[in-house]
Amino acid sequence: MLKVKVYADRMSQPSRAVLIFCKVNGIEFDEIKVEISKRQQLSPEFADINPFKKLPAIVDGRFKLFESHAILIYLASAFPGIPDHWYPADLSRRARVHSVLDWHHLNLRHGAAPFVLHTVLAPVLGLPLNPQAAAEAEKILISSLSKLENIWLKGNGRYLLGGLRPSIADLSLVCEIMQLELLDEKDQERILGPHKKVQQWIESTRDATRPHFDEVHKVLYKVKEIIRAKKSNQGDGVMQSRTKTPLASKM
Amino acid sequence: MLKVKVYADRMSQPSRAVIIFCKVNGIEFDEIKVEISKRQHLSPEFADINPFKKLPAIVDGRFKLFESHAILIYLASAFPGIPDHWYPADLSRRARVHSVLDWHHLNLRHGAAPFVLHTVLAPVFGLPLNPQAAAAAEKILISSLSKLENIWLKGSGRYLLGGLQPSIADLSLVCEIMQLELVDEKDRERILGPHKKVQQWIESTRNATRPHFDEVHKVLYKVKEIIRAKQSNQGDGVMQSRTKAPLASKM
Repeated sequence: MLKVKVYADRMSQPSRAVLIFCKVNGIEFDEIKVEISKRQQLSPEFADINPFKKLPAIVDGRFKLFESHAILIYLASAFPGIPDHWYPADLSRRARVHSVLDWHHLNLRHGAAPFVLHTVLAPVLGLPLNPQAAAEAEKILISSLSKLENIWLKGNGRYLLGGLRPSIADLSLVCEIMQLELLDEKDQERILGPHKKVQQWIESTRDATRPHFDEVHKVLYKVKEIIRAKKSNQGDGVMQSRTKTPLASKM
Repeated sequence: MLKVKVYADRMSQPSRAVIIFCKVNGIEFDEIKVEISKRQHLSPEFADINPFKKLPAIVDGRFKLFESHAILIYLASAFPGIPDHWYPADLSRRARVHSVLDWHHLNLRHGAAPFVLHTVLAPVFGLPLNPQAAAAAEKILISSLSKLENIWLKGSGRYLLGGLQPSIADLSLVCEIMQLELVDEKDRERILGPHKKVQQWIESTRNATRPHFDEVHKVLYKVKEIIRAKQSNQGDGVMQSRTKAPLASKM
């Protein structure tokens, strides 16, 4: 049986969501690493997979697909035996999942990704830091976290939309927030600290997808060390703890 | 039978897509006008419908939903007799529709809407124009139109993804581009002129949804006149043609 090919970089938040979803649900796949830091997504070979040159992308037989939400929906629908809570068959529950997934692009994604990039990650990719872009992105990020805390996480359940179990929306958005792990302790505390429900929700989602969640996020911690090493070498004078413990509960 | 309530402002591009979809497919609905220019979307009553205070939103019985793509998918799925081409049952065709809908948020929408707002529309809402934001948005808009021309509209069909008939993605994206009708002739020609396939695609979509497309877009032409009147009163010295002709084929 032809396995699905998943073109991914584990540094890419939406790539991680797709990988974790496959592993949790026993979907057999080949992970084909495309390294953004080496500009591999810009190769002509990859453009043949995704002309927009972005990750993740999948190939299922002759069918090529990109955009992580479209991929998650396709996998949840096309593979047998996937528990309903990931992508409910009920039309109104499903519609609500769509509404979070839609909201995400211009809110959490649009805040979190540029904020981390322009605050700490750019040098790893050989790009300059951009404090102005970081400041604008931070506003959007904080506003989005606030909306998650007060609107999307309202209700009895531990998950978005009052869900008792995670959907693909939970997985997508939590993987996005995990990128904040690259920031220093102080920034993480400042930004995430006020949002208790969000923190619990991250833990719940991580719990529901263990051990794959932590395994797929390992690279993030490695890159975090690289970032800290660079800062130390630049003599910023702050002692960095080089612990290898998994995600602190404060996150 | 309880009709669907559609909360909309026809000046809002995604509102138009939902209204046109309902009309074309004979979905009975009550259109409840929420005027953005009068800040009605910020009222406590509307916050009860959509806590994010955005348009469009629908109420179907006790079910409330916002985000236009989620709404279009819900309507296409929940109502009987809707032709398959709007939202195909086939999983891979459906996935491709999702991928355009996803791409839209941070591309065409993210370029077109701020460009029009910061170039001509802001005064109608009592906001100042912002040339810097307009310039930034224009880059994204032109890049998006180029991608539509060269990637999304590749293939034999007249519609996105090589489609022979329109999907909800065609309707959503074309309604977004129609907002460019508000900018002056010169800017429109500069921005849209190079993209022949895009122009044909707009015409095809308009044709496939007549007469509703033109009827729903009427308000746009009224606001266009208001903008031009303001510009004339400010003595900018340029003669504006006050024609009431429907959408020129150049658009």
